[in-house]
Amino acid sequence: MNTPWTTESLHEALHSDKTVDLEGIELSLIGGVDAIIHITMHEHGDLAMHMAVSGEQIFVSSPLCLASQVKDRNAFNEACLRLNPVNPLSNLGLQDVGGEDLYIVFGELSSRSPLNAVVEEIHALADNTIQAAEAFADHLK
Amino acid sequence: MAIWTKIITLFRGAAHEAGTAVVDANAMRILDQEVRDAQNALLRSRDDLAKIMAQRKIANDKLNDKKAKQVEYSNYIREALARDNRGLAQEVATKLATIEADIATEAKIIGEYDNSISKLQASSRQAETVITRLKQQIDTVKATESVQRAQAALAAQHAGTGAKLGTALDSLERIKQRQTERAAQLEVADEMAKATGEDTDLQRRLAQAGIVPGESSAESILARFETPAPKALGHDGVPQLDHIAAASKTS
Repeated sequence: MNTPWTTESLHEALHSDKTVDLEGIELSLIGGVDAIIHITMHEHGDLAMHMAVSGEQIFVSSPLCLASQVKDRNAFNEACLRLNPVNPLSNLGLQDVGGEDLYIVFGELSSRSPLNAVVEEIHALADNTIQAAEAFADHLK
Repeated sequence: MAIWTKIITLFRGAAHEAGTAVVDANAMRILDQEVRDAQNALLRSRDDLAKIMAQRKIANDKLNDKKAKQVEYSNYIREALARDNRGLAQEVATKLATIEADIATEAKIIGEYDNSISKLQASSRQAETVITRLKQQIDTVKATESVQRAQAALAAQHAGTGAKLGTALDSLERIKQRQTERAAQLEVADEMAKATGEDTDLQRRLAQAGIVPGESSAESILARFETPAPKALGHDGVPQLDHIAAASKTS
């Protein structure tokens, strides 16, 4: 079994491995006790995503919209739950960020995943987030 | 599964506090401790399993010894009876009775060991599954938390400027804007291309009319050779056909 990534080793590999195509993806490591990778998707309207590795899991998250941008929370929540099963590879969720509710689109994969699977996840997540934002246009202010 | 309840409790505890901390660090430590305890328990039960398996092996070796003895003594009895030595046969039969009683007892003990072994194996497997799931949950909570903290930090940066945390909605807006810009650029490029096209068309018609020099075609070149150049304009005054004839002679 291959060694699991850490946030740092994953960032390093994404930067140094010339076989991965990072066209339109800008990465930066934000260090600290629990380091994270900040991702800017230039071909997805500079969408800001975050990635962190913990033990056996890689977590990639993308901000969909703030709860304050939603017209009817109940209707939106239901729409999210209905969209979730048909959304390939990504999930919809709700998190408290800095005291504000943020709807996120996120994906999880094994920290032993090959590098190209991680890059694919990044692309898929960005695509899904933008598509979700488009699909939910009627629910948003 | 109790794991979900535990995780949900973690969030519930945090919901009372304002701010960015989602999961109570203390609760997280408790959960970590629970995993470690479960792992230790698992190690202990694996030790027990190893001990019981060793004991079973010893019991089984004993059983095999007794079974060998059983065969041996049975042969003695048959031999003694064949030689009409009933007394000796009787004596061996008494020993064989003890051996057969021992065999029954050992077999029963081994059956009990087998039972314990399969039970311990099953509970170890179950404990392993529980530990793996619990660890995955903890990993997820930790990873989610780091990302959440980072997003909160971003939100805090925006807080002073009055701008909201950037979401997919802003990105979508940017994408649409860029698409509009690109469409406008394409339109301009298209118009420029069309304008150049019109120029080209004018040039072509001017060339056709002989007003501006056109491109050399096979016909125009041939025409140049066939029509003798006006003497007044020629430098050497030699008709071109003669010139060609002279050239062909030398070759």
